[in-house]
Parts: sequence; structure tokens; C-alpha cells
Amino acid sequence: MSRVLLVIAATGLLAGCATPSLTLLPSEEGKQGAVAVLEENGRAVDMVVSELNSRTNLSGSPRTRSIDPSKLSARQLALLQTLPPPPARLTLYFQEGTTRLTPESAPGLDFLKAEVRERPGAEVQVTGYTDTLGSADDNDALSQRRAEEVLSALADQGLDRTMMNAVGRGERELRVKTEDGVREPANRRVVVTVR
Amino acid sequence: MKRGLLLVGLLLASAQPGWAEIARIKRSAGTTAVERGKARLTPAPGFQIQPGDVLVTGKDGQMSLTFIDDTRFAVGPNSRISVDQFDYNRTTQAGTFLTSVNRGSLAVISGQIAKSRQDAMKVRTPTSLLGVRGTKFIVEVPK
Repeated sequence: MSRVLLVIAATGLLAGCATPSLTLLPSEEGKQGAVAVLEENGRAVDMVVSELNSRTNLSGSPRTRSIDPSKLSARQLALLQTLPPPPARLTLYFQEGTTRLTPESAPGLDFLKAEVRERPGAEVQVTGYTDTLGSADDNDALSQRRAEEVLSALADQGLDRTMMNAVGRGERELRVKTEDGVREPANRRVVVTVR
Repeated sequence: MKRGLLLVGLLLASAQPGWAEIARIKRSAGTTAVERGKARLTPAPGFQIQPGDVLVTGKDGQMSLTFIDDTRFAVGPNSRISVDQFDYNRTTQAGTFLTSVNRGSLAVISGQIAKSRQDAMKVRTPTSLLGVRGTKFIVEVPK
């Protein structure tokens, strides 16, 4: 018994300082995440670490132990505080056939400008989406053009063009699920992401 | 094979003028550097990271960055972390991502690449290889 405890204590000490380790934490969305250990010391292993608030040593035989999330080391806390904030996303709707924002979407511009100001080194992605009318390829091209038009409009409104990218996602990620070939205004949108 | 690669290269180059950019530095404090080939560059907020870049910090250094697939990194002091591979298609949101933590510490919140396929995002340490399946974690490699 005491020998077992001694071994556990020694392992704990090693994991705590000298050996490489993996610390798995709860994700921001609270979703169940996992990290698989695929190789260790050149050997293939198949171990999935899915216990949140745990530490796994990454040399020798991997073993996962629970940790108290309120007792992370000062170094770990400092590291977590350094992580950038999550990207901000805003869906914009436009007056039919134009790049003029609908009255409901107009305040979004101020929101975007504020997000960019508060994020040093910001990058902005303007993503276009279509409904399912027309072919998938045509919709990729259409959503790309739409995103580029909106990017230009945002640049005219004072957002720095050099930090922006236009992307067309076509009919992927429909906001309202429909069959193929269906007109749906809610799916014809542009999402602006500020990272 | 070579022609295929060339074609892929041309497509990438024509699709996005800034295609080499994969992440931007958000914060850099203390002694930090980005090694690109033989060049040793000084990162500031907005600095654009490219595949192959090595993130280096001194004993008082730290930096943070966000990738174009929404992955976020925080690099702790005394670290050497290389972004070996980052291929990402913004249209399909699929790709592959390999990072090596050679020394020091790295906090990660994974993004779209990790969601695109099992083990599309991997992290290597001197003794192990990890497959990231959508989560937040810290990898520490003491000296």
C-alpha cells in the first residue's frame, strides 16, 4: 500500500514539473472535447484523453490524473490569460440586390468598428452565403462576389481594407435548412468575423 | 504529382492574394521573435504568421495569436514552437495543422481545422504526438 502511494506521489511530482504534460480544460462553449495521444516515445499508442480538468504525462506510459481547476499554477493562469478573445461574428442583411444594409443591420457597422478598435492586430473575414437556388459551383462564385462587394462597402465606411478578406461559402451552413433549389432570403447573408 | 502541386499552388495564389497569411499576432511582450528561414523577425500586434514560422520567447516573453481558422494560441516564456504545417481552405473550412512544441508552454483553443476531420490538427512534442479533437488545453515541455 505505502509502496503504491510512493509510486503515485513520485509520478505526481514528475508530472508536476519535470516531464512534458498535457492539461485538458473545459472549452468555452462547454462542449465535450478530447485530445488523443497518438504516439509516445516513438511508439504508436491509442489513448483518448477526454476527462476535463486533467493532466496527462507525455513521456513514459501516459496516465491521466484529475486536477483541481482552482489550483492551476501561476504560469498556467498567466498563459490562459494571454489567450486572445474569441472571434466576434455579426450577420448582416442587405436591401434586396444592393450592398446597402437594411435599417436593422445598420448599427452593426459601429459594432464592427468597435470590435476592430478593441483588438490589436485584428483580422476581418467577410463571408458570403447563398440559398440553394442554382448549382453549388455557381453559388460559391456568387457568394464570393457578394462578400467582395460587401468588403468594399465596409472599406468605404471606414474599415481598413488591408485587414479584410472575402470568402464565399456558397450554400454550405444554411441558416434555414431547405431542399436544393429553394429561394430563402434568410440564407442569403453575409457574416463578418473579427478575429 | 509535380504538376498537381504546381496547379494547387497557382490556384491558391490566384484565389487569395494574401494566401500565405495564416495567423496574426495579437499580443507580444518581453523578449519574442519569429524565425522565418534565416531571418529573425520581431512580432508586434498585426504581424502576419506564415507556415513554417517558429515562435520563440525568452524568459520574460509571451505572445498570443489567432489563426484564420479561429484557432487561438498563447505562447509562454522560454518557448520554441514551430508551426510546421497549416493548410486551410476558407471555403470548405477543412485543412491540416501541425504544430511542434519543442520547448516551453502553449495554450490552445482549437478552431475549424480540428472540427473538419478527426486528427486534422496535431501537436508534436519531443516525446509524443497528439491529435486534437476540439478543445482547450495546455502543453508543457520543460527543459
